[in-house]
Amino acid sequence: MSESRPDGGTETRHVRIDAARPAREQLRSVVDFAVREYRLAIRSNWASGLALLFAALSVGVVLFGRSSIGAESVRAVVLSVAELSVYLVPLAALAFGYGAIVEPRQRGSLDLLLALPVPRWVVAVGIYLGRAAALASALVVGFGAGGLALFRFGGGAGWGTYLALVAAAVAAGSAFLAVGLVVSTLAREKSHALGGVLLAWVWFVLIFDLLALGAVVGFDLPTAALVALLCANPATLFRLLVLSVAGSVSGGFGAVLASVPLDTASLAAALLAWIVVPVAVSAALLGRR
Amino acid sequence: MIEIDNAVKRYGSVTALDGVSLSVPRGALAGLVGTNGAGKTTLFRLLVGHERPDEGTVRVAGRDPVASTAVRRAVGYLPEHAEFAPAMTGREVVRFHARQRDVARAHRRERVDDVLRTVGLGEAASRRVGGYSNGMNRRLGLATLLVGAPDVLLLDEPTASLDPEGVETFHRLVERVHERTNVTVLVTSHVLSEVERLCDRVAVLDEGRLVDAGPVDELGGDEAVVRFIPGPDVTPDDVTAFVGDRPDVRLARATGDRYALAVPESATFDRLAALQEGLEIERFEVDRTGLREAFDRLVGDGDAEDEGVAGDGGVVDV
Repeated sequence: MSESRPDGGTETRHVRIDAARPAREQLRSVVDFAVREYRLAIRSNWASGLALLFAALSVGVVLFGRSSIGAESVRAVVLSVAELSVYLVPLAALAFGYGAIVEPRQRGSLDLLLALPVPRWVVAVGIYLGRAAALASALVVGFGAGGLALFRFGGGAGWGTYLALVAAAVAAGSAFLAVGLVVSTLAREKSHALGGVLLAWVWFVLIFDLLALGAVVGFDLPTAALVALLCANPATLFRLLVLSVAGSVSGGFGAVLASVPLDTASLAAALLAWIVVPVAVSAALLGRR
Repeated sequence: MIEIDNAVKRYGSVTALDGVSLSVPRGALAGLVGTNGAGKTTLFRLLVGHERPDEGTVRVAGRDPVASTAVRRAVGYLPEHAEFAPAMTGREVVRFHARQRDVARAHRRERVDDVLRTVGLGEAASRRVGGYSNGMNRRLGLATLLVGAPDVLLLDEPTASLDPEGVETFHRLVERVHERTNVTVLVTSHVLSEVERLCDRVAVLDEGRLVDAGPVDELGGDEAVVRFIPGPDVTPDDVTAFVGDRPDVRLARATGDRYALAVPESATFDRLAALQEGLEIERFEVDRTGLREAFDRLVGDGDAEDEGVAGDGGVVDV
C-alpha cells in the first residue's frame, strides 16, 4: 500500500494485518513495556524514596548494633533487619504496585495501550516486570547501604547471610508487588486499590500468622497441611527463607517455622509461584476486559 | 473499511447498543453523534476490540478486532480521556508507540520527528508531558496513532475540554491528515457544530439505536429551517397555534424569544409569507436544515424510531 505521510510526503507501508505477532516480537514488546515502566518508576522518585527508606532502616540497625559486632552479633543484626523487613517490604511493594493498572486506567492511557497491536498479557507482564525491576533496584541499593555499614564495622562476617536476606527481600517484594498488581487490575479507582492493598497487608503480615498459630495450637495439623498453610502467605515464606539461611528467626510463629520440612529451593519455588500466579491472573483479567 | 452488522451490547440489564448496523467506506471522514449514554463509546470499544458484541458482527479492515490482535495495527484509537505518563517526554511517548506499531527501526527516528512536527509538537518534543496543555496532550495522542500510519482513526470526543483555539487547531490537523493520507476517520462528539464542520458524513445514535446516517447535508431531508425572533406582543402560545394550524410545519427549537421552524424546502417562501402575515416578526433568517435541527428531530422529541431512516435490519452506509 502506498500512501501519503501526514507531513505530505509519501511512503510505502505494508500493513500485515493477517500476520500473527511472532513470539520474539511479543518478547520485545514485554521488554519495551518493562523498560518504560522502570523509567517511569525511577523518574517518579518512588524507587529512590524506597531505596532511602531501606538504607535508613538497614544502616540504622547496623549502627545500633555496632558496639557488639562480631560473627554472632552480625547474625543478630541481620535477623533484626529481616524482622523489620517482614513488615516493611510487603508494605512498600503493595504501595508500589497498587497503581500499576488502575492509574493508567483512570488517566485513560490504559485504553490507548490496550489498543496497540500487542496481546493484552504483554501489557500486564511488562508493567509488572518494570515495576519489579525498580523495586528490586531500590531494595538492593537500600540494603546495600546497610551491607556497606556492616562491612565497615563487622568485616566480612555474616556477609553471605546478609546477601541471602537481600535476595529473600527482593523475592518477597516481587511476590507482594504481584498481589498489588491483581488488586490494581480489579479496582475501578485508585482509592479502591489503595484500600485493597492495605487490607492485603493487614491480612498477610498481621492477621495470618496469628490465625495460623491458633490453627497449629488448636488442631494437630498433619505436616502437609502445615506446609500448605505456610505456603499460603508470602510473608511467612519470606520468614522461612531467612530462617533457612540464618538458622534462626524470631516472632511468635518462629518455633512452628523452625519445624517445617521445607528446604530453601522449595521455599524459593513457593515464592516464585506467588509471583507467577498473580501476574497470570492479572494478565487474564486484563485480557477479559 | 468499517462494517457493523446488527451489533448488540448489553451490560447487565442495560442495552448499550441495540442492533446497530453501519458501514463506513474507506476514506470517509464520518461523525458519530448522540446524547450521553447513546452508545458512542461502546461502539468504539467494539471497533477497537476492547469489547465483544453480544450479538452481531463487527469488522474493521475485514477482520474481527477481538479475534485478531494484528488488525489493531491498522486502527488508531484515541480515547476520550487519554493523559500520558507525565514523566515521559513527548518524543518518548511517540517512539514507544512507534515500536509497538512496528515502524521499521531504520525509519523510526525520522518518522517520530515527522509526526511530532505534523501535530505541532516539534519544539516541545523533548519536554515532559506533565507540562503540556490539554491541546498539546490531545495532539500528542493523535501523534501516537499517526506514527503507525493507520488505515482507520477512531477519535472519541477528541476536543472535549479544549479551548476554542485548541478545537480549531485540532480540526485543522484532522482535516489536513485526512486530506493527505485518505485515512478513514470516525469522530464522536457532543458538539454538533463540530461534526457539521469537520465531517462529510454522520451517524446519529439514540439510546443504543442508530436512528439516521448519511451525508451531513442530507441528514435534514428536504426541510428548510426558518429562525425568527417574534415581536414583543407575540406569546409562545401564538407560535404554537401557528404551527398547529399547519401540518407540514414543525417547531424545531424554542430558546427564550428565539424560534426555529422546520418547513418543507419547496414551500419555504409560502410558509415564510404566512408567518409574516400571522405573527409580528422582528428578525428572521432562512437556512437549510442543519445538523442541530436534524438531531433534535431524530433524538430530541423521542420519536426517533418513527422518523428514523434506518429501519431494522439493513446496513446503513454513513
